[in-house]
Amino acid sequence: MNRDTPDNRSFLSGKPLRILIGFILVVNGMFPALWILFTSLKTETELTAKPITWLPHAPTLANYLRAFTDQPLILFLFNSFMVAILSTALTLFVSVLAAYALARLQIRGRDLILSAIIAVSTFPLVTLLVPLFEIMRALGLLNTWVALILPYTVLSLPVCTLILVSFFEGIPRDLENSAMIDGCTRIGALFKIVVPLSAPGVFTAGILAFVNAWDEFLLALSFNSNPMLRTLPVGITLYQGEFAFPWPVISAALVVGIVPVAVLIVIFQERVVSGLTSGGIKG
Amino acid sequence: MAIAGETTLAARQDENATKRWVRFLDPSERTLAVLLLMPAALLLALIIVYPVCRLVWTSFHNLSLTSGAPATFAGIENYTLMLEDPVFWETTWNTVLITLITVPGALLVGMALALMANLPFKVKWPVRLSLLIPWALPLSFAGLIFAWFFHSEYGVVNDVFRRLGFEGVIWFNSASWAFAAICLTIVWKTSSFMALIILAGLQTIPHSLYEAAEVDGAGRFRQFFEITLPLLKPSIVVALIFRTITALQTFDIPFTMTRGGPGTSTATLAMYIHQNTVDFLDLGYGSALAVVMFALSMAVTAVYLRMIRAKG
Repeated sequence: MNRDTPDNRSFLSGKPLRILIGFILVVNGMFPALWILFTSLKTETELTAKPITWLPHAPTLANYLRAFTDQPLILFLFNSFMVAILSTALTLFVSVLAAYALARLQIRGRDLILSAIIAVSTFPLVTLLVPLFEIMRALGLLNTWVALILPYTVLSLPVCTLILVSFFEGIPRDLENSAMIDGCTRIGALFKIVVPLSAPGVFTAGILAFVNAWDEFLLALSFNSNPMLRTLPVGITLYQGEFAFPWPVISAALVVGIVPVAVLIVIFQERVVSGLTSGGIKG
Repeated sequence: MAIAGETTLAARQDENATKRWVRFLDPSERTLAVLLLMPAALLLALIIVYPVCRLVWTSFHNLSLTSGAPATFAGIENYTLMLEDPVFWETTWNTVLITLITVPGALLVGMALALMANLPFKVKWPVRLSLLIPWALPLSFAGLIFAWFFHSEYGVVNDVFRRLGFEGVIWFNSASWAFAAICLTIVWKTSSFMALIILAGLQTIPHSLYEAAEVDGAGRFRQFFEITLPLLKPSIVVALIFRTITALQTFDIPFTMTRGGPGTSTATLAMYIHQNTVDFLDLGYGSALAVVMFALSMAVTAVYLRMIRAKG
């Protein structure tokens, strides 16, 4: 047994067991995405063969072609991307300002504001479906990106503000003060000194906001009935007909939808983990 | 000397008080604070505060967009209607059942995943990715992927069953099998989030505690129940609050897997709100349903907060 590792107290410390456990973890996390990848590469005939095959025998990219031609997948991707990126930008802008006020300025009721922010993040957005539907309808915003960008911004605002407050508090005040002595305004110091120094926190907050917006389904389904404005999660449900489920094509579209977020996660994995656990707790 | 000392102290206190006071009144600082908080406050007012007030108002009115008639006061009619509506009871019960099954389920699976992921792996990124990918995967995607998993003819679940010599199950033709498939999917999707939070908690527990327990002869199980679990409690409670609130809002997975079928046997309250609002345009009734869900989630938060306070 491997008694020299620091963690020899754990239940299962032998090396073969550890490899087995690592395998279980990876299979649990990755198998669904891998299975969809395999399905997307199969032909319709292979898919309906019995017993089913696991790995595709004659991998084909035809399903990907159909995924892009059967439905305007490019448009879904574009809509999702624009809505997610614009709401991320807005979230970051609004939460940078609010977090700076909460971290630096003497505000009476600061703790009250912070607990209100936490309370907002436990708020079930679904319950606001009716009034938001009415507001967006009254403002003529149904079937626009804005109808989604505004709620998504509010969805991520609490988490991002909390992350940024803790980052801003870690930046020494002297740095801003000397910038201000050098003739910088306070807002100038915020964007030239504090924000760049908090770049890891801003990144983390941004990724959480992006993933929140990229994943959202209910509001996107309810507020945009125009097929040209569908986001990806909603658009993907359009591939299924009344009785027909073209599974290889749906799988190809799913793979196309998973890739951007997967890339983001692979690149920023450590940031995401630290963000999730530093006050950025959201299911 | 004593008197002089007191005066200085008093003067200093006075000076401090004045400083604080001046600072608080400093118009530039206060205006700046208001200006900086304004965008957030405006957004919250537009997207949360006004809608909540509007929600309560609408729930006491007849407001249907199909008729085009203006809202008329209905008193508690929407609520009494709800009491006699079997679909309301069924969808609420489904929502509560999903919450009662998947929240503890995700906690247990997430705890197991976290304990496994906490082992000293030499290469850490595959483990981290295997927790992050399910977390980042949209719920609606998870619903579609698992609908394919549970496909009665070509699904991998039934394939494994058949290879093991069992009969395949026609998952989505029966209410209880469909419900089971939905719960399994939700547990898979949400346990990774639980695991990430618990894993972070695990990594803050100092090793010395276990070493001391080892010296005292405490076995692995006692160490888990007397060190690990109590120290993890804060992260577990926070994760549970958010998971329960989101479980009460369950929409994406049953919608993409079964559309609530067979019949309405797997429909949730959120799906019923969506149906009444977007499909039937009956905003009054939809609002009353939403008020019920709102009350449910407030009650849950209150219970958890009491738990935190009671045990310190």
